[in-house]
Order: sequence, then C-alpha cells, then structure tokens
Amino acid sequence: MTQYIVRRLAQAVAMMFLLSIVFFALVNLAPGGPLAGYGNARRIPAHEVARLKRQLGLDKPMLVQYVVWLVGNDWMKVDLDGDGVADSYGARRGVLRADFGYSFRTRQPVLKEIGQRVPNTLYLMSITLFVALAIAIPVGVISALKQYSPFDFTVTTLAFAGQALPDFWLGLILIIVFYVWLRNPSTGEPLLPSGGIYTIGAPFSIADRLAHLVLPVMAGALGWLAWYSRFLRSSMLDVIHQDYLRTARAKGVPERTVIFKHALRNALIPLITLFALDLPYIFGGAVFIEMIFSWPGMGLLYYQAALQRDYPVLMAVLVIGALFIIVSNLLADLLYAYLDPRIHYD
Amino acid sequence: MPRHRNVSLFVSLLMLLSLLACQPSIAQPEPLSPATLVPQTMEPAPTLAPPPQPEAPKSLVIVIPEDPPSFNAAIADSGYDALAMHLSLLGMAEIDPQGVVYPVLAAELPTQENGGVVIDDASGAMDVTWTLRPDVTWADGTPVTTDDVIFTYEAITNPDTGFWIPGIDLVTGVDKIDDQKFVVHFSSVYPSYLTLFGGRQVVIWPKHYCDATQGFQNWDCGRQPLSDGPYILKEWVTGDHLTFERNPKYYEAGKPGIDSIIIKIVPDTTVRETMLRQGDADIIMWATEQVADDLKNDSNVKVSISDTNRFVMRLFFNLAAKGSTDAKADPNPLFTDPLVRQAIRSAINVDQITGSVWHGFAVPVWSEFFRPPYNKCEIARPKYDPEAAKSMLDRAGWVVGADGIRECKSCQTAKDGTKFQFELLTYSEYGEPLILTQQLIAENLKEVGIQADLSQVQGSVMWADSASGGIEQTGNFELDLYDDGYAGSDPTDFLYQYYYSASADPDYGWNIGRWINPSMDELIDSAYTLNEADRQSAFCQMAKILDEELPQILLFSTLNADAYATRVNGVQANVNSVVSWNAADWTFAK
Repeated sequence: MTQYIVRRLAQAVAMMFLLSIVFFALVNLAPGGPLAGYGNARRIPAHEVARLKRQLGLDKPMLVQYVVWLVGNDWMKVDLDGDGVADSYGARRGVLRADFGYSFRTRQPVLKEIGQRVPNTLYLMSITLFVALAIAIPVGVISALKQYSPFDFTVTTLAFAGQALPDFWLGLILIIVFYVWLRNPSTGEPLLPSGGIYTIGAPFSIADRLAHLVLPVMAGALGWLAWYSRFLRSSMLDVIHQDYLRTARAKGVPERTVIFKHALRNALIPLITLFALDLPYIFGGAVFIEMIFSWPGMGLLYYQAALQRDYPVLMAVLVIGALFIIVSNLLADLLYAYLDPRIHYD
Repeated sequence: MPRHRNVSLFVSLLMLLSLLACQPSIAQPEPLSPATLVPQTMEPAPTLAPPPQPEAPKSLVIVIPEDPPSFNAAIADSGYDALAMHLSLLGMAEIDPQGVVYPVLAAELPTQENGGVVIDDASGAMDVTWTLRPDVTWADGTPVTTDDVIFTYEAITNPDTGFWIPGIDLVTGVDKIDDQKFVVHFSSVYPSYLTLFGGRQVVIWPKHYCDATQGFQNWDCGRQPLSDGPYILKEWVTGDHLTFERNPKYYEAGKPGIDSIIIKIVPDTTVRETMLRQGDADIIMWATEQVADDLKNDSNVKVSISDTNRFVMRLFFNLAAKGSTDAKADPNPLFTDPLVRQAIRSAINVDQITGSVWHGFAVPVWSEFFRPPYNKCEIARPKYDPEAAKSMLDRAGWVVGADGIRECKSCQTAKDGTKFQFELLTYSEYGEPLILTQQLIAENLKEVGIQADLSQVQGSVMWADSASGGIEQTGNFELDLYDDGYAGSDPTDFLYQYYYSASADPDYGWNIGRWINPSMDELIDSAYTLNEADRQSAFCQMAKILDEELPQILLFSTLNADAYATRVNGVQANVNSVVSWNAADWTFAK
C-alpha cells in the first residue's frame, strides 16, 4: 500500500506540473487582458500601458512568464525602470517556494487573498455536505426499503426537483420567504438574515452563526441531498437483493441487523467514494450560493478573477483546486480499499 | 465498526477544523498599521462620543457588489475604491454635482485672478501655487503639510512603482515654499489643474505613514489608510464588509453627522434592493434603472438621480476596414461616407429605446457637450426619421436589394453589389439592458435596409491593448456599442483621447474609429487654455463638426443614481464623483 501511495504521489507531481503548463497557457492565451479595465483605466496612454506591463511582468514572452511564475525571478536581473537595462534582481520567489504572486486587482499577495476566503468556503461547504449526507442516508435507505411506496414516490419527485432547481433561483426564493415574509414573532425582525457569515458589529454568538448558515446550507444542500439520496437508494436496492442477505435472514438474523450491518455497510462504500470525489467542492465553493447569500468564499473570488483577468489569482485557484482533485481521487481510492477488504492495490 | 467510526471522526474533524479555521478571518480585523510607521492613536481606533439619542441608528450601511480594490482610486478606478477613499482621505479639491470645483485641503482655489496661477507667455509654462488649510490633521494628530503633497507627487511619478494620472505628463515638478504652500510647475497650460491632486480619483497621502519603498500602487496604506477625511477605517473583512468610525480630528466642526459607516459587500442586485427595502441597508451605490424603477413607489426609500450620467451610450464607427487601423489607406466600405453615418443616426429611435429598455431613466444625448458647465452649445437634437434615413442611403448609393438588404450601386466607397451588412458588437458584462438596446438598434436599422449582425464579447477582450488582441486597438471591428464619457467636469483630455488625430495610433489613444480631422485637432489644441470664453467657443465649434461628421453617434446618457433610505439626510448623487463625496454632511433623520 505504501508503495502504491508513493507511486500515486509521484504521478501527482508530474500531473501537477503538466496541468500548471496547460492552465498557464489557457489563462494567458484567452483573448483580452488584465489591462483592459473600466473607467479611467481604459484611457491610460501607451507609455503607461507599457510601464504597467513591465511592472506586472506581462511584457515578457509567455515562456519566461511561466518560468517566473514557477521559480520566481529573484535569481535574475530585471529591467524595472524601462531603460532597457536589466539592473536589479526581481522580487518573485515562485510557486515552488509558495509565492503565487500578487493580485493584479488588489495588489495583495495571492495566497493572502485565498487565505481570507478558504476558511469561509470550508466552513459553508463542509456543513452543507454534512447536512446533505445526514439527511440523504436515511432518506435513501428508507426509499430503497419501501420501494414504490408513497414515501419513495414523494422522495423521488422531490429529489428530481432538488436536482433541477437552479441554486440562484432557490436562494432568492428562500430569501423572500425567510427574510422578507416570515418574521420573528418576538422581535418583529426578519426570521433569518439575507446573507453574510455573521451580524456585523454583534458579539460572537453560535446562534447568530447558525442563523446565517441556515439559508445558504438549505440552498446548497438540496442538490447534494437529492444526488446522494438517489445514489444510496440505487446502491441499497442493488445490495438488498443479494444472496448473502437472504442467507442472513434465513439464519434468523434480526431484520435491523440485516439492514444496518450487512446491507447498509456495503451500500455505503460507493457513496463514500463518491463523497471523497466531491471533496474538492469544499475548497472550490459554489459561485451562485456565495453570490446570493453574500458569502465571501472561493467561488466568488474565482468568478471575479476570471472576469477581470486577474491571472495570478486565477492560476492559484486553478492549481490549488487541481491539487485538491488529485488528492481527493487518491483519498477515494484509498478509502475504497480501506472499506472493502476485497480491494488490493499491491 | 472501528473503521466506520474512523470515517465519521474524519468528517467531524474536517468540519471542526473548518469552523475553527473560520474564526480568525471573521472575528479579527486586519491590523490597522502598515508596514512601517504605526501612529499610536490608530490602535485602538479613537473611541466615539456616545450618540445623543440612544434610539437613533448608529451605523449607516452602504451596499456594493464587490470589495474596493484598495483606497487608492487612482489605480483601478472601480468606483468602489473611490467610495471608500472619499470616506477617509482628502484631495486638494473636489467637484460638486453641478461640476463646480471647490477647495477641500486647499485654503482657496488658485486662479489667475488671485495670483495663484501664473502663465509664462513666452514658454507657455504654467505655475500653480496652492495653500493648504492650516487646520487639517491626520488621524494621529500630525498636520497635513506640503511634504505630504510632494511625497504623493513623487510616489505617483516614480518610474518603477508609480502610476499615471491625467495631467501628470505636463507636470515638470512640485516645489515646497513652506509647510502650507507649494507650487506645481506645468510645461503648458492644463485646464484641469484644480483636480490634478483631487477630484474623484486622487488624494494626498501621508508621508510619515505610507512606505514609499512599497510603491504607490502596492503600499499597505492603500488598504489601511491613515485618515484625514471624515471617517477612519476600523475593520476590513475581505469580501464581507468594511467598518468606518467617525474621525474625531476631522477638520469640519460638528461633522461627520453619523457615528459609523459600514460598507457591506452584497454581490447580488436583487438582494441589495431587498436589504434596502427591509431597512438593513441605507444606501445602494449606483442603483440600476431596474432598481430605481422598482423603488420609485417605496415610501421608505428615495433615489437621488443626477441630471445626466457621465456615461453616454454610443456607437463607435470603424472608419478603417475591419482589421485595419488606417482609415486613409484602407477605408471602411460601409461607413466612410458621412451621409451614411447620418442616415444610421436618423434610423435609430432613441426614445423608444430609453422608454422601453431603460425605464425612462436614460436621457437622450446628441453632443459631447451635454454636461455643465460646458452644455451651452446649440446643437439641434436629431430627429428619428426612417424615411429621411432611407433617402440619405439612396443618395449615398446604397439601394435596396432583392432580399431587402441594401447594396452598393455607385456608392463610391465599396464595390457595386456589396451588401450593407456588418457586425454590431458590444460587451457582455453590462447585461440585459445593453443587449436589448443592441437588438432594438438592429431592428431599427433593418427597417431601412441595413443588416446588423449582433455579437458580444467581454470588455477585457474589447478594450485590451493590441498585443493582447484587443478588438478595438487592432481595428478588428465594424460598429461598437457601449457607454463611455469623461470623469470630472472637464472634457478636454477626453476629447484629445477620442478625437485627436494622434490618438488614432494603435495603443496611443482611443480614437478607435481612426477619424482624422485637422480642424478638430486645432480646436482641441486651442481648448488647452484657462480662458473659459475661448474654451466654450472651441467646444461649440467642435460640437458642430462632430454633429456633421459623426465619428460616433451619441444615443443617451445612462442613469447615475444612488438609492437611499428616507431615514438618511444629505445623500446626493454626484456624476463627477461618487456618493460618498459629501459623506461628512450625512445625518440620520430625527
């Protein structure tokens, strides 16, 4: 197993290197550029465009830009003042030394920008996924056990609706219902806040945090819930018709034990693998949920960076996101082997 | 079972870690001090006097869709940076909604009459002597002096780390006379000299607080400024909110009138509007036409609307052939004849567009000189007259073909048989109103036998420099549609950038239509004077030429408005600045 992990990690390094080249080329080759801003920026004169390009490192050929992005330029002399003479060392240390550069938009270190957003996204998405799983598992099990019952039909209908409803629409509807229409009877205030992570200026309170979580988690979890419950229902249906369950029942094993010990454990294995593959969303966030509920997460950061051609931020989100996907895939494979003794990678 | 327990533990641990990881970024504000100097009074932020009426709201909430890039509006000019900047930093002078410049840090505005402006007739050079108010201090008690102005000038002009601002190319130096007086040397007359270090985009930065080695664009004080304005930044939680508190050392006695201001980041337009209706927000900066229309009957909300916006929706003709940047050597076969451009203007029903798409808030505009103080030229509004348009096109040699699309028949600018068909391009970020406008224009043109094929691209593609494949700088377009206009109240630099012959060179200016007119060049040159009568005369002559030649067709001014709760007094939209231009005057209604 150790050998397998080492081999996969080595593959991951090579994969990341190749991906970084592809990402860099795609981001830079996309038409347009970061200097085509709005307002006054559109009317800056040519010499200023040239100076900005020099300052941002955009005046170099793409290969050189990639090398600087990867290994920095503090080991080579650069021309900062535009006199054509490379006379001072650069300040970039490169991604390999944990320097993702500076955001073109805010001029802040990219890792700082991401560091401010990642905790918010982890916070929201992990709870969203947890809630989705916590509801989806019993719903999926009952749905499978009571196949074609009114409960099953209802759940199936709701599941399809849950998958079909767009996040942004559902989010707005939830805001109208719980923020505009429904009121807290004791205070007369809206029942739930419209967005944000907490009440600005208020002392820390778990209740306040939870109140701010309810709507984005509801809007975000519904799709996952539908997806997981349908998956588990199908998985359970596969399992409960297996011979070994019939044998267990014939041996007099209680039904509860048959379902929860023998059936559910096996039915959950593919679900856990699926969940592991979904883990990158915990980093990547959900753009529409974050936008509707004013949640300062990674999805919004990426969306805005893409619109404004903020190359350093885009590259960092893409590369770190890719890393999450690779690690999650590895984790899924390892979990699979861990949970299913029939699987061996050696 | 132990295996499953481990998995549950893993998931629980992950959630717990994320919850814990969330705490610092949410609960802790960013440190207020930049890298070098930390004024003692900044930590903690000065405490406020208790509000006179406990039941009165303490904080005013402004909702905007994204974080300000920084407090330095000279760099990105997203508008949100200017919003934050004007809450906490001051320039030498500001422009009011009527276009009148008034002193802020300056004791008075320098003019030729009061001896503050001296022009050397021989060389044409201009010296402007400013005197600072003696009673303005930074939040740490340090006086604002000439050293701060010179520091700001040197930061802007630093060849490695500086950033261009309008007019700075004409400045040859700034000299200190004493702590309150300094002189700005211009190589030639610059009419906008009053807002060189002021207006919407530029403020004076504290020398003792900002770290010059970090550079004007990147310095920490651009995100954690030391105030001399009405408010002090107390907390900036990126992506969520900025909290400001009243600056007790603000120079205007009794101001600001509100204890604290929160800028809340709310990306979705509908949610911003709902928050204002529900009383959880007090100001929506830059209310759209849809929002203004939605709110017009809400008794708890008012919308402050400027007479016009600075942005005018307009059509930009490429007078060179698509893909070329030389209109003389390679003229556009469709648009080169001014009669054709006149016909297109006559074919467009501006009133229909403003009424149906822009909720009646857009104001028809047909001259560059539509805003005070230079809106005195008598240019008749063109009529919507499709029959006249057809007649003009016939006269220009474009006759209706078998398929209803006009084609060249002795049209002088194209080969016979050439169809009058082109790409009408706009940018996608503006959204539905612009797309609908584009469609209505195409329908109008279709009625007179012109086929406009619609397409949209991102602004970052449309306006990029030529090396980045910018559509306009490479001349790779036929007819563009978008909103544009000049910041501040002086159109001279804008006219140079858009209509001067030198600005037709790729990547030099924004004369993307490559329209060359020597008379216009002379008039623009002549507008660089301080004689207002001469300037007004030059502008009106330009207006006449532009009306006849139509290098661009101006359609209408979009809405410049800020929506606000009726409990707030003093909010006034300012087309020359941003809503926070008079934040010190805001109060809560009693």
